[in-house]
Amino acid sequence: MDALIAKLKTQIIEQLNLEGVSPEDISPDDSLFGEGLGLDSIDALELIVLLEKNYGLKIENPAEGKKIFATIRSIAEYITAHGKA
Amino acid sequence: MKAYIRGIGQISPQQTFAGDFLDNVVEYNTNMLFCIDPVYKEFINPLQLRRMSRTLRMGVTAAKICLLDSGIEMPDAVITGTGFGCIEDTEKFLLAMINNNEQQLTPTAFMQSTHNTISGQVAIMLKCKEYNSTYVNRGFSFETALLDSMMLIEEGNAHKVLLGGFDENSINLHVTTERLGHWKKEKINSLQLLENKTAGTISGEGATFFMLTDKEDENNYALLKGLSTLYKPESEVQVEQHVADFLKRNNLSASDIDLVVYGLNGDVRTDGVYYHLRDKLFAETAGAYFKHLCGDYYTSSAFALWLSANVIKKQDVPEVVRLGKAPLGAVKNILIVNHYRDINYSFMLVSQC
Repeated sequence: MDALIAKLKTQIIEQLNLEGVSPEDISPDDSLFGEGLGLDSIDALELIVLLEKNYGLKIENPAEGKKIFATIRSIAEYITAHGKA
Repeated sequence: MKAYIRGIGQISPQQTFAGDFLDNVVEYNTNMLFCIDPVYKEFINPLQLRRMSRTLRMGVTAAKICLLDSGIEMPDAVITGTGFGCIEDTEKFLLAMINNNEQQLTPTAFMQSTHNTISGQVAIMLKCKEYNSTYVNRGFSFETALLDSMMLIEEGNAHKVLLGGFDENSINLHVTTERLGHWKKEKINSLQLLENKTAGTISGEGATFFMLTDKEDENNYALLKGLSTLYKPESEVQVEQHVADFLKRNNLSASDIDLVVYGLNGDVRTDGVYYHLRDKLFAETAGAYFKHLCGDYYTSSAFALWLSANVIKKQDVPEVVRLGKAPLGAVKNILIVNHYRDINYSFMLVSQC
């Protein structure tokens, strides 16, 4: 799980072009949206594509997406649960 | 039609963003010029910045510098002109489509690839809900935006117009257009652009914004008195006649012009018309040129307008832009003559306020 979390941090920083943010700056339990990392709806689309492209996972239910993308850890857990990490 | 230039902001291959008027000229040994970037974080919120492509950063920053320079916080209109728009973002999402077999496309590059991204972003940044338009007319892009701005002011529909011209260079664009023979095959020193009597020129880029107003003010740079365009002239004589008519319409003759800014780009195939005008109409008039500083691109006439407005305001013609040795006194009237690839000809008249 820790390796997957570290990998996800790097991928998210790269995909979302989070200039000046390093993996150490992001706690796995920080909120990604709102007051945490401050991501927005466009970033959510980028994350959906990231998951599909790198892990073969499609998120089609918006309600499900909100839970999955809450934190880095929740994304990692979803990937692990679906066995495609 | 007339409009005053109140403020200017420019990002270019020269250090023009910090109020430098060619005091520290940068020379290049390449046929492909790119802008010198300011520290964008000083102008744009980092959260917004991370999603912006290079040209968007250039455009938004140039607009911000212009607003600060003008002292005007809210324009009545935002109007831009661009030949290629945000070409790097276009390349990015097209490449992603190819590489991913048209699947898993991300939205950012696509939504920011449109030509009106910069005028839209500036409007969002300012919360400006007024008239907003972007013109994409190849070598007339900036001129059309300028024409619209001047008409808005002339008709009283706007008193303060934020006008921009921008285009970005990219390696893909350069290589593609190189195949069409646009650029010099040899790498040259940019400051010796006119000395290489070969085909082609150097590619460039820039983002230039002007605040145009209808109000006289001691802080104005210059008065923009006239604009004219000519599409695919048949001969140099036709261009000469067009210039004479343009001056006449503005109650001027060639002898009233103190400085002619030529769009010379070192391409032996298309520079002849400038020398023709110089010989026939402006033999005694001081000349200047600018494409050795910014390269050639669709909206490079915006760089010429930046140069002319500064010359008028500062009453200084930097040595690096001087063409020939004709004597030069006070500069009250400047004529800009520019063409893009012998197709889109434009003429602007810039005068002292």
